[in-house]
Amino acid sequence: MKPGTRLKSAACDTEVMVIRAADGTIECGGAPMGEAKPDEAAPLSADFSAGTLMGKRYVDTDGKYELLCVKPGKGSLSVDGVALVVKDAKPLPASD
Amino acid sequence: MAAALSIPLARWADRRIEVLADETAAAAIAALDGTTLLGERGSNGGYRVPGHVSAGIGGSRLMPTRDGGWFALTLIRKEDRELLPALFADAGLATDDDAAIAAAVLRNDCAGLVARGRSLGLPVASADEIPASAPVEVLARGPRRDRPADHVPLVVDLSAIWAGPLAGHLLWLAGADVVKVESPSRPDLIRRDDPATFDIINQGKASALVDLDCEAEREALVALIRRADFVIESSRPRALRHFGIDADALVRETLGLVWLTVTGHGARGEPAHWTGIGNDCGVAGGLSRALADAAGEIGYVGDAIADPLTGITAALEGWRAHARGEACRIGFAMSAIVASALDEERTFDPLLLEAELRAWAAAVGELFPAVPRRRLAAPVRDLGADTGRYLASLARC
Repeated sequence: MKPGTRLKSAACDTEVMVIRAADGTIECGGAPMGEAKPDEAAPLSADFSAGTLMGKRYVDTDGKYELLCVKPGKGSLSVDGVALVVKDAKPLPASD
Repeated sequence: MAAALSIPLARWADRRIEVLADETAAAAIAALDGTTLLGERGSNGGYRVPGHVSAGIGGSRLMPTRDGGWFALTLIRKEDRELLPALFADAGLATDDDAAIAAAVLRNDCAGLVARGRSLGLPVASADEIPASAPVEVLARGPRRDRPADHVPLVVDLSAIWAGPLAGHLLWLAGADVVKVESPSRPDLIRRDDPATFDIINQGKASALVDLDCEAEREALVALIRRADFVIESSRPRALRHFGIDADALVRETLGLVWLTVTGHGARGEPAHWTGIGNDCGVAGGLSRALADAAGEIGYVGDAIADPLTGITAALEGWRAHARGEACRIGFAMSAIVASALDEERTFDPLLLEAELRAWAAAVGELFPAVPRRRLAAPVRDLGADTGRYLASLARC
């Protein structure tokens, strides 16, 4: 999956931008995400329904995947069934 | 003869400061001028007039794009560089290599980079964009409060870096009691990284430390806000909501509360999600294009110029709202404030503005115009020194 690709959830309103990815399946709400929205919505899995937050970056523990939420939704993100976690935001330094 | 070097738009700031001094009747504000407020960081820090790389630490760069545009990109956090492969759709990009970044910019069209950069939360701009929001916008209104003539206004300053803290500083010079509130997870890093500037614009403010991740501390902060006259904040709107602080609701409920929201590009709709800081917002406001039109060479004008222009605007509009007595939340969009100041200057004295821009472009590499270093008139409080005094009921997590 190319960095910069925008993926949509099949199960909710979530959209993400791919920052970094490997060959696994990126999912939201328990269903694979795609560049297009499927005609029929996938059911939202209870195990992946914690929701996504606008502007948050989500990562896996190995640092292979990083997704930026550009549109929030009810599902939560995973790769091959393993949940991603929020990466903490850093404050802006003093100057530019 | 070439005009002496001055920061373009400093005269715009002069006029605003004169009005603010008049309306607040504050001698300390009357003693200020635009050149000081726009240029004291650069003068004190030995900054040089910038070209394609912003003044000071050089965190912002103007780079040409494939379609003949100019793209401004500010990279001051390591985390932001991690987003560059996504910005350029190039997994192999050397994210620490400025030449590689410039080459990637040149392979793309400007508007596409700006759109994608903003989706990614990067501070980016095009030299040819039109600001997305109004410079000053009333976002919410609330009930009025009649105050006795000798009332000392209380300002809760939640803002960081330069624009918001400068607004708080001007209100302090106007006689307000200002408490600067910082969170352990998001302190105002200018305290550490540029203490000379920090001290000037935060002198005399009390300092409170509030952990916004802790519900009890957040409640104590909201209680402080409910008895305040002003709030100043410069976080993205969603960040406050994330912490359960609803600015509009507090304004609707609190008599006479004036809430000043400083953003890069606006507080409503899509632009509320964009980031913007002083230099790239100057570009987004059209100032670099104006420089290129006047002098034939594009570059950054001033030092993070959108910050002081916005701080001055916020202090003046905030003071006026406070004088009216009605509660309101006012949004200040930095890019649009630059654009409106530029517009006004073009109307006011187009020839002088052009001469100033040409002199600025001719002075690339020279030291910033020197302004006398302001002496501190009050102590700078240690971080959190006054927490107990302002948040007596604070229950720590």
